[in-house]
Amino acid sequence: MVPLENYLVLSAIMFSLGVYGVLTRRNAVLILMSVELMLNAVSLNFVAFASYLDPSKIIGAVFAVFVITVAAAEVGLALAIIIRLYRNRSTANVDEVATLKW
Amino acid sequence: MGADQAWILVALPAAAFVVLALCGRWLPRQGDVLAVLAIGASLVLYFFVLHDFLHQRDGLVNSHEYWSIAMHHTWSNVGNFNLNFGTYVDPLSAVMVGVVTIAGTLITIFSIGYMKGEVRYWWFFAVLMGFIAAKLMLVLSDNLLLLYFAWEGVGVCSFLLIGFYWEKRSAAEAAKKAFITTRIGDVGLLIGIILLWKATGTFNIQDILTAATTGQIGHVYLFVSLMFIFLGAMGKSALFPFHVWLPDAMEGPTPVSALIHAATMVVAGVYLIARLLPAFEVVPASLLVVTIVGLVTAILTGFMALATTDIKKVLAYSTIGQLGFMYIALGCSHPDAAIMHLMTHAFFKSLLFLAAGSVIIGTHHNQDMKQLGGLWRKMPITAVTFLIGSLALAAVPPFSGFWSKDEIFHGTTAWNGGWVTFLLGFAAVLTALYTTRLFVRTFLGKPQDQAVYDNAHETGPVMVLPLIILALITCVAGFTVFNGVGRAMGFPGGFTEFVFLHEPERFVMNWSWAAASAVIAFGGVFLAGWIYWGNRITISTRLADWQPGVYNMLVNKFYFDDLYQAGIDRGLLGFSYVVSWFDRYVVNDTGVDGVADTTRYSGSILKYVQTGKVPAYALGIALGAVGLAIAGLVVRG
Repeated sequence: MVPLENYLVLSAIMFSLGVYGVLTRRNAVLILMSVELMLNAVSLNFVAFASYLDPSKIIGAVFAVFVITVAAAEVGLALAIIIRLYRNRSTANVDEVATLKW
Repeated sequence: MGADQAWILVALPAAAFVVLALCGRWLPRQGDVLAVLAIGASLVLYFFVLHDFLHQRDGLVNSHEYWSIAMHHTWSNVGNFNLNFGTYVDPLSAVMVGVVTIAGTLITIFSIGYMKGEVRYWWFFAVLMGFIAAKLMLVLSDNLLLLYFAWEGVGVCSFLLIGFYWEKRSAAEAAKKAFITTRIGDVGLLIGIILLWKATGTFNIQDILTAATTGQIGHVYLFVSLMFIFLGAMGKSALFPFHVWLPDAMEGPTPVSALIHAATMVVAGVYLIARLLPAFEVVPASLLVVTIVGLVTAILTGFMALATTDIKKVLAYSTIGQLGFMYIALGCSHPDAAIMHLMTHAFFKSLLFLAAGSVIIGTHHNQDMKQLGGLWRKMPITAVTFLIGSLALAAVPPFSGFWSKDEIFHGTTAWNGGWVTFLLGFAAVLTALYTTRLFVRTFLGKPQDQAVYDNAHETGPVMVLPLIILALITCVAGFTVFNGVGRAMGFPGGFTEFVFLHEPERFVMNWSWAAASAVIAFGGVFLAGWIYWGNRITISTRLADWQPGVYNMLVNKFYFDDLYQAGIDRGLLGFSYVVSWFDRYVVNDTGVDGVADTTRYSGSILKYVQTGKVPAYALGIALGAVGLAIAGLVVRG
């Protein structure tokens, strides 16, 4: 059996990659993909802990399913916003849409 | 109608007040007939009540027994606290009601002539009725709470009537002054009533008196509460140092002055103290205070009257002086003398005021004696009636004022040492002096202003008739001090014994006292006559030139008005300035505007955090998460 630490390290690496992507990328779609990566890292954590602490309870797995569902809805919403943005401004670069401020 | 239905006497003028106030202006003749009918009916019913009341005495075995008829019903019950409202008819209130209804009726009739063609004619009669109703309720009330209610009613009506010509700034100011000055005393009265209620648990006057005389209230406590009540009486009666409002109250129409001075306003204080006198007698120190305030008032106002030339204001000062006499009598534990003087004073003072009103109307609103003089040829009836009133005021025998003042003289022997008697005699000389001066300079001598004199005329019958009736009463009212006369009128044991409150006392004619007070009166009259009628008026001007400081002090009313004005200007307005400064700079600028400014300023600086760039926000969130994680680690250890 693979030890828990391996899952946690993998999850941490995935999460860090996601954070790095969100902070460095300027394309809205790529930022979205990085966010998905972070979510999946969290889901992996849930499942790993669930199986490690008490395999008879599937509560962590259920939570992972919920995260996937919410992520799907969020992607649908975010992609719709990005499409509207592209239609209006002809760009998906987030640096160019910075008018919502003081 | 029996004495237990005495409330009807109050209800009639009160109903007239309501009707006149609501729809007086649309009634025929603006409702003046209704007013006269209401107060006239009260007067007639009063005699029924009095008859029934006197009749009740026949059943008593001991003719010296004190008797009264009380009628009350419960107004509200809260827990074990009962509030009863009711009437209390006893000799004292019977006499007071008589004075109020008789003087009130005559003054109301006189007003028809005096107020003819004035603005708000109906409103005048409405408030007049309210005034009389409040005063009747005051003297018939059996408990202090109802009495206080009526007391304030009297105050409000006097305010409305003094300020009747409110378009005139001086009238509005005078009304305000009267109201505020008496209010200061009224607060004292309310405190006194509450203190007595706290000690006894009841507002009923007789119960409180019983508790006081049987020693259920501690002496110091009783003294303090009685002094608070006396404060109320001082304010209402315009005693020193509250005397400043009464001369200014002359701004009201003259019938109002007559009513205020004779029947409804200022004597309320005398009634209150007379009513509570058994409690005052428990603490002799309180009687001494009453006596001293009375003496100071009588002498001060005597001097002020000597330097005044407005005939109504001279009368106003004379009223305050006479009230001082009444309080001296009360302070000497002689309520019979005080009430006797109250009654005679009510008649001769309303006579004097109505006669002065007749002069004012007859000379087309001229009331400065510097411009009058020699009017007796033009206004004989007014002059004769005024003379009778003046002689009564100066206490010349056999007019009514003499007998009652003689009673007061007699009573002052209650204080040892004779100093009260001496000072009272001095005040009586002053009274005779200024009264004679007033009459001589108005009616005798040469006309000072030919135009005023030429246009003067006698007034109409509706004004002259009350004058004649009051003059007749003034001539004969004094004789009621004799037991035989009182008994013949149906008062058992004579009038003074009838009035006397808790133990019978007979009027003893003491010839040496009577002679002394007659000498005092004649002395004052002749001195003033010698100066003012004998064309030696230069004596007074020479006196004024000789001591201009003293003269100016008198003309300026001992600077009391200036003192109070300075007190208001420096003290009250200074304090208001501090309060307004605190409100403006601390509460408003710091408290309200400060919060708003801080928020706006911090917002104007912090808003630049919002760059609108998505990566910046993302970085913020990431750093925040890391920071929280570190903080969590540190806290958990």
